[in-house]
Amino acid sequence: MDLKYVSPFMESFENVMPQLGYGNITKGGACFKEQEIINSGVSVIIGIVGKLRGNVVYGLSQAAAKSVASTMMGMEVEELDDMSKSALSELANMLTAGAATLFYDLGLPVDISTPTLLQGENIGIKMSANQVCCVELYADDIKIDVNVAFEK
Amino acid sequence: MDEIKIVIVDDSSFSIAFLRDIFERNGLKVVGEAGTLEEVVSVVKETKPTLVTMDMTLPGTDGLECTRAIHQIDENIKVIVVSSMMDDEIVNEAKKNKVSAYVQKPVDEDELMTAIRRVMAADELFAFLESEYLPVFKEALMDSLNRMTKTVPTSEKVFVSGSEFKSEGITSIIGIIGKFSGRMLLDMSADTADNLVKAILKREPKSMDETIAVIGEFANIISGNACSILNGKNKALGLRVAPPAMLHGDSILISAPNFTTKSVAAETAFGLIWLNAGFQRGEEKWT
Repeated sequence: MDLKYVSPFMESFENVMPQLGYGNITKGGACFKEQEIINSGVSVIIGIVGKLRGNVVYGLSQAAAKSVASTMMGMEVEELDDMSKSALSELANMLTAGAATLFYDLGLPVDISTPTLLQGENIGIKMSANQVCCVELYADDIKIDVNVAFEK
Repeated sequence: MDEIKIVIVDDSSFSIAFLRDIFERNGLKVVGEAGTLEEVVSVVKETKPTLVTMDMTLPGTDGLECTRAIHQIDENIKVIVVSSMMDDEIVNEAKKNKVSAYVQKPVDEDELMTAIRRVMAADELFAFLESEYLPVFKEALMDSLNRMTKTVPTSEKVFVSGSEFKSEGITSIIGIIGKFSGRMLLDMSADTADNLVKAILKREPKSMDETIAVIGEFANIISGNACSILNGKNKALGLRVAPPAMLHGDSILISAPNFTTKSVAAETAFGLIWLNAGFQRGEEKWT
């Protein structure tokens, strides 16, 4: 899978996170994985269909998820209740919709599905593509793993 | 179309009379009018309209604040902005505030009526999908099970799910895209998956990877068949499926926080299989 299919997600992250009040957006490591990915904490999955077919999975630790939900809701979140999960799903939706707009500009129109949010330790996630591209993105001290798999 | 009840929000009596004439000529019923935030709230509560036309500039408030107030009363009420102002920024703000369509003044009767018909048709189409999808997904599950394993479930139950449930161990998630977006998931324990895959392959699976790949394909076939049948019933749905994402773990909690989903629990020869699906009303695609 070509790295160019991941840059719209990174660019969307750079656009969206400052709107939520995060100042410092940086990129950590990027890698390709052929095996399944393992996530602990909160994972949000969104399907993508159009000129590209695949999935994107956003992974946050439990602490990062609570912190992001607190920022989005403007109040301290102690436990991830329905409202905070709704906020996190909405964040994944905004990030993916932003990437979809950038794909459109690249001549690759895509539509996105509704997000599904999962919680649990050591969840194994396998996507149908041969390779998953993983990028660690930071908004201040919050790390979000973005895992992208397209079928070509 | 069922009877459409309209409330007109505008601070100009000329505009109200002009819009009222258009609606009455087209057989729509105007049930109220308002020019301030307080009037909007009381008229909407009292008359429960299907649709509200909204001016953007109003004394002491604006169209977006009024739209939010209306959706706090009932989020299903459609708001169409009818305003002399129309630029990218204001249209984007309107979209963010869940406005269904935007028509610029001076109002062209055909343009306004087309916008209303489009908004109401989308509503009817969603209602159709909501009433049809679960039986179709259930049938696709039964049919795929029958064709791939020559068995039928011993019992199946259908129910509306809460926003959250715990995975039995292995879950396939398939995103659905079209006029409305949604997702299907198929959930079962590792033992059930093992038994099912043995029956499908007619041999022992070589590895956990193979088991997961077969279950993913099984879920893919069910969702693809179900969406094809739904598209056949109404081609405006245009449903398409994303490839399956496969998850496994000891205690996975799955949520769909922003929409209701429905489930089928099928007791099969291989163990319990859960199918859960749901669609979101989502944002209108503006023309």
